[in-house]
Amino acid sequence: MLYREALKKAMDELMEKDETVVILGEDVGFYGGNYRVTEGLYAKYGEKRAIDTPIAENSIVGNAVGMAIGGLRPVAEIMTVNFSLLAYDQIVNQAAKIRYMSGGDVAVPITVRMPQGVANQLAAQHSQSFERIYASVPGLRVFTASDSTSAYYGLKQAILLDDPVIFLEHELLYAKDFDFVEMKDFDVRKQRIIKEGNDITLVSYLKMLHDSLEAIEEVENTLGISVEVIELTSLNPLNLEKVFESVKKTKKFVIVTEEPKTGSFANEIITRVIENNFYDLDAPPLKICGEDVPTPYNRKLELASIPTPDKIAKKIIQWGKENGI
Amino acid sequence: MEYKITMPKLTDTMESGLIVRWLKKEGDYVERNEPIVEIETEKAIQEVPSFKSGILKKILVPEGEEVEVGKPIAILEVKSSEKVQQQTTTQPMPEHKEQVVKKEQHEEEEKKEKKEEKKQPQVKVKEGLASPLAKKLAAELGIDLKKLQEKGEIPSPAHEEDILSYFYGKFFTSDALEIAKEYEVSLKDAVKHLGENITKEKLLKYLKEKSAYKIVPVSQIQKRLIEHLSKSTQVPTYRIYETFDTKYIDHSGEYTLTAWIVKIIGDVMQNHYRTRIYYNNGNYKVYISSNIAIAVAVDEELFSPVIKNVSEKSLKQIQEEINQIKEKAKNKRFEPSDFEDGTFAVSNLGMFGISMFDAIVPYNYSGISAVGAEEKKKIKITTTFDHRIINGKEAALFIKELKEKFKDKSYIEGLIK
Repeated sequence: MLYREALKKAMDELMEKDETVVILGEDVGFYGGNYRVTEGLYAKYGEKRAIDTPIAENSIVGNAVGMAIGGLRPVAEIMTVNFSLLAYDQIVNQAAKIRYMSGGDVAVPITVRMPQGVANQLAAQHSQSFERIYASVPGLRVFTASDSTSAYYGLKQAILLDDPVIFLEHELLYAKDFDFVEMKDFDVRKQRIIKEGNDITLVSYLKMLHDSLEAIEEVENTLGISVEVIELTSLNPLNLEKVFESVKKTKKFVIVTEEPKTGSFANEIITRVIENNFYDLDAPPLKICGEDVPTPYNRKLELASIPTPDKIAKKIIQWGKENGI
Repeated sequence: MEYKITMPKLTDTMESGLIVRWLKKEGDYVERNEPIVEIETEKAIQEVPSFKSGILKKILVPEGEEVEVGKPIAILEVKSSEKVQQQTTTQPMPEHKEQVVKKEQHEEEEKKEKKEEKKQPQVKVKEGLASPLAKKLAAELGIDLKKLQEKGEIPSPAHEEDILSYFYGKFFTSDALEIAKEYEVSLKDAVKHLGENITKEKLLKYLKEKSAYKIVPVSQIQKRLIEHLSKSTQVPTYRIYETFDTKYIDHSGEYTLTAWIVKIIGDVMQNHYRTRIYYNNGNYKVYISSNIAIAVAVDEELFSPVIKNVSEKSLKQIQEEINQIKEKAKNKRFEPSDFEDGTFAVSNLGMFGISMFDAIVPYNYSGISAVGAEEKKKIKITTTFDHRIINGKEAALFIKELKEKFKDKSYIEGLIK
């Protein structure tokens, strides 16, 4: 199933069942969405439930917050996380706070969907990753969708949640066709083991999850080991039970994210793994992130600024050799 | 200074070469003329010696990759006093004047190089005492980590594996420990099973019960051989089984049976041009001379050097060439030309007492004779032919004449005169 179809399926099914679920954003209605995620929903549910908005991110989220207070369950789409900075006040000061400041009386069940990350030569202002910004805001929930399975189940659970959710997608995944896995017990908050292994625990999400999976074959062949891969589906709440268990078994930990390394969300994960697994670790954790530069437009430089399958493999192999693997 | 080693042109027609095996690691010191890499051309695998002494700084082309002639394949750090061209090809057979260097000076430089060699290990091990897990484990097992690391009995930084092998290794005899490491068996499990005094015999018994195995990577040379053999088996072939009379052939002295057989086959090939054909991209390459490859096993690797123009050489000359081949095989010092121009092959397992077998025709050769052991002055030879090159009738006539030649007393006696 295509990633974008999985997202649409989640929204479509909930819109059909519950008429308080509405979608809004730039071109999500008549045009069918800039990434064709909402294609067909306008025709099926009409302009009152698939709402086209002006190019005004702060008012998209502000309206969604108001609709939520009034009893709807809005799903707002921001074209990319880069533009969500304009809505940052609504997200942080309104959406995240209202439920707490009203003593739990007023919930804000909004979902803000937006893609992030480096696509293909979209340059510095359109290539950022902001999980660090949103996952660190108390009151917000931050989920990621790395394939069609976590896109479908994750988005459904996000919409049904009474807390405001930032739902992070990746621009390069929309047109990807992933095997869809039927899961009765999918829980977006509990992370997902993608591949079992014995010697290294690798954690990742969004596009880097796939780049890591591609890199692992070489790592396993070269080092003669097996790698366990865990997808983070929820960055906040950050439940790392499965990761801790895995590190206890493998004794080695690697995290791969696309964001710049300084102040990265990867740091938070590493901190928690060390806090929890210090005496299990047989090697220093390995952090593979993007470089601390505004993403260059030039394709070669762009690729040099983020992890690629080749670089991921090389780094893990080098680190493995340095650390007795 | 840096000196770039480039892909050498080993034969006239060579356009590119495949790096089969690096014989030196990055950081290794390489003597001039010392083999540094094995390269495969269209026909053969050859060791290539270094043109200069120095430290192998960087390998640019990994094993298994093919590059054009002249492209750099490695960087050698050489002493700046040695005047070298910026980019010179390694020579398969370097012939250059010995440089006159005072002995003292030479030794000093060598020492310096050795030091540099130590400074550039392939992977730098990070400084530190032990991983958290190793420390915890050492404490649990009552191991004085610091002391043992000072004594050099446990490496620094220490990992889980180091602590476990030190602790449990004590329960093994040294030869048992070696085997345990070879089969990557968990020392802890073995101790649990076998108690505290583990000998080689005990361990082997335990490993056999467990069906333990080790993983051995296939060498590049072996991989290429597998590839070529696999290609050969796609060729349509058929076999002719025949017994040959050896009553006039004396191979107790100077001449081996292989030499005799090569000589006789070579002579008969002159009358059967189809055995002198090498199939080449839809064309027949018809050689005028009888060129016969003989299969030579070196350690566990197989080579097929070619004895050329057999019909024009005496039995004595052929025997001498076989002796030379054996000598080269010992050191694996074949040259590409040793493998060129063969059209027919001989493989002899008779010396192992095998009475009869058949062999796979080398790719694009016309045929191969598989020679069994001599019994009552008779030998069984199975000859496999490439049907694309030679049909049954021609092959039968070839074998028929071969058979007659074996029995031809005056011909055989003529060979040793």
